[in-house]
Amino acid sequence: MKKYIEVAVLGQPNVGKSTLFNILTGKKVRVANWPGVTVEIHEGERIHRGHVIKFVDLPGIYGFSTTTIEERIARKYILSRQPDVVLVLVDGLNPERTMYLLIQTLEITPNVVVAITKYDVVHAHGIHINYKALEHKLGVPVIPVSATSMQGIMHLLDVIIDVAEGRKGRRDLLEVDYKELNVFIESVMEVLEKLDTSKIGFPKRWMAIRLLEGDPEIEGIVKRTLGEEALNEIINIREEIKRIYKRDPAELFSSRRFEYINELLKGIIIRASVEAKHKFITKYFYHPVAGPLISTSILLAVFIFAFTINTGFPFDIILEELGYHEIAVALEEYSIGGLMEKGFSILSGFLYKIMGESMSSHLLIDGIIGGVGAVLAFLPLIMVISLMLAILEDSGLAPRIAVGLHSLLNKIGVSGHAVFPIILGFGCNVPSIMATRAIPSLRERMRLIMTLPFIPCQARLVVILAFASALKGLNGALLILYGYVLAFIVFAIINRLLYEYDKKKGVVVEPDILLELPPIHKPILRVIWWHVWDSAKHFLIKAGTIIFVLSILIWFMTSYTPELTYTDDVSNSIAAGIAKVFAPILSPLNMSENVGWIIAFALLMGFIAKEAVVGSLTILTEANSAREAIRLLGLIDSQIAAITVFTILYVPCLATLAVIYFESRSWKVALLTILIMMSVAYIGMLITYFLSLII
Amino acid sequence: MIQSSLESLPPGKRAKIVGYMKGGGWTYRLYQMGLTPGAVIEVVANYGKGPIIVRVMGVEIAIGRGIARRIIVEPL
Repeated sequence: MKKYIEVAVLGQPNVGKSTLFNILTGKKVRVANWPGVTVEIHEGERIHRGHVIKFVDLPGIYGFSTTTIEERIARKYILSRQPDVVLVLVDGLNPERTMYLLIQTLEITPNVVVAITKYDVVHAHGIHINYKALEHKLGVPVIPVSATSMQGIMHLLDVIIDVAEGRKGRRDLLEVDYKELNVFIESVMEVLEKLDTSKIGFPKRWMAIRLLEGDPEIEGIVKRTLGEEALNEIINIREEIKRIYKRDPAELFSSRRFEYINELLKGIIIRASVEAKHKFITKYFYHPVAGPLISTSILLAVFIFAFTINTGFPFDIILEELGYHEIAVALEEYSIGGLMEKGFSILSGFLYKIMGESMSSHLLIDGIIGGVGAVLAFLPLIMVISLMLAILEDSGLAPRIAVGLHSLLNKIGVSGHAVFPIILGFGCNVPSIMATRAIPSLRERMRLIMTLPFIPCQARLVVILAFASALKGLNGALLILYGYVLAFIVFAIINRLLYEYDKKKGVVVEPDILLELPPIHKPILRVIWWHVWDSAKHFLIKAGTIIFVLSILIWFMTSYTPELTYTDDVSNSIAAGIAKVFAPILSPLNMSENVGWIIAFALLMGFIAKEAVVGSLTILTEANSAREAIRLLGLIDSQIAAITVFTILYVPCLATLAVIYFESRSWKVALLTILIMMSVAYIGMLITYFLSLII
Repeated sequence: MIQSSLESLPPGKRAKIVGYMKGGGWTYRLYQMGLTPGAVIEVVANYGKGPIIVRVMGVEIAIGRGIARRIIVEPL
């Protein structure tokens, strides 16, 4: 009989958690960062010796306080879900610091297995760990593992089953010796005596410790269950510690924990002094002038590289300007995007030949292949960008870029912590907004949640590229550049304005940075591929579900009249009927009526998913590619530029909007975001249009 | 025993953390990262502008100047 074992994977940031999680679960990972669903946790399964083991990847955290939402999510998961095993990762290169989370975990659950990571390189760093002795002292299994060499992985799985079935591990919670603080813990526990912890699921001693450290969530529980008087009694005990020791109780507890770890590790970890390799390159990131320069250069290089191999841009244009027309055309044609476009056009021609002209062939070719194909053509681009972002993240470069850009970002009221969400935002705004959870300042986080949707995600990149491809020569390149620069300027200005607003209200905390800088290392290929596959899958699923359904819907709305009879004339269709209501909004752009409603319709569809802007245009014009569709519409350059700008800025897509709501828990924030974006987009559109008419 | 703030330490200098000045919501995170009183730190980079980089328990940490100003140290 198969048995189901739930394992929560826990570790401090940079201990190699996502790498190990990837190896433990293989490919069977359910990534839950997708429409509306607020599942914030990755899950993956693995079958081992007839047991189904489900791994749950908890966020990387330093401890179980309430400093960030991630810490609250993790502790709530462990305390309320009671997973069979909590797998705690300790960094083999940095065991003293990363054990801090381990001993806190042992205070809330005994069902722990410890994995010491980076086993393959620990010795090279002169660190010797007596794993058996550590296991003996902690009372829970300690397994050295390496994600690079795969050492210890099978043994780890065996031990997880042993602990889940009660053959190994400890029965009781760890009681850390807090020395002089122990008496205070006991007095708080006396106050908590009457509390029925079976209902709350929190261990009493841990609650007492957290109360002494100051934990608003647990204070709330005490107030609700035991009343205000009990809470005041506890607060008095806390004040007494302050009076006697003249120190913040939280500081004392943290110090005692590290002392406990040091005593525990005495004789277990021996460090031979190995000459630390000086990494001169990394130092430049910290320089006030070189830092921002290097950081922006890296980010720019990433995007230029991705653009070039996908579209030939910007080298096709440079070659063209230099007079090498043939090479430029070849570069464009044999870029991945050019090849995909050709492929779809051949496929459509071939299908029309064998199926003939019929309603089903129209649905398949114009509707589905037109809509989905126009979007799918951009898959390689998306994979290349995720590849570059994954390398930045896994190599340890990303946090250095955060430091390098910190002072610059300060000018718009955010900290270097905003770099991660911003970089992620170029991929997709959904994970980008979720990544703001690691930012300790609540107001800074809210400001970012409202402004991150301005960062052009890959879906909007699809739209930008489609429109740019319709412009000749240098203008296309200029539009892409203009779009990104404008989006960035808007992101900066709105952030600054919101910051000033917060400042006026007096709720502002000066944006500051506190960030761990893991050693620079060679990224692990398997992990990089995991990230790339992750985003490719995300994109394919989206193309196969939302875009697919939307394509059929758009085809239907454009092929049928409001009376539900088939029509060849799109201007009589349902789509035209709806879109003509909104078309007047775009009237400053001076488009002909026939074109105006098509654009309005595409923008309406784009609210559901931004790629649908391109899909709608190809379906409505029965074109094979976005480039052809825009040519068929006969738009002038100024109109193309204006519509592009509007599409970049106008509104977060549905999925992003849902995440904004769930992350802020506020309709006000979600609606305000739409309002800000809509007005900025409209102004941006008008400025772009009239500016480009003058030029 | 001369005490100063972390912000003023030059690169290469080692110091022991003595305590924190009040204010700011970062103190608990500092504790969690091993920057508790008594911990010995080494300044990796401090350009007088931008974050200060310190090494504590073998890990490099970037600390913003606003936070660094409130960390009281005793140079070794």
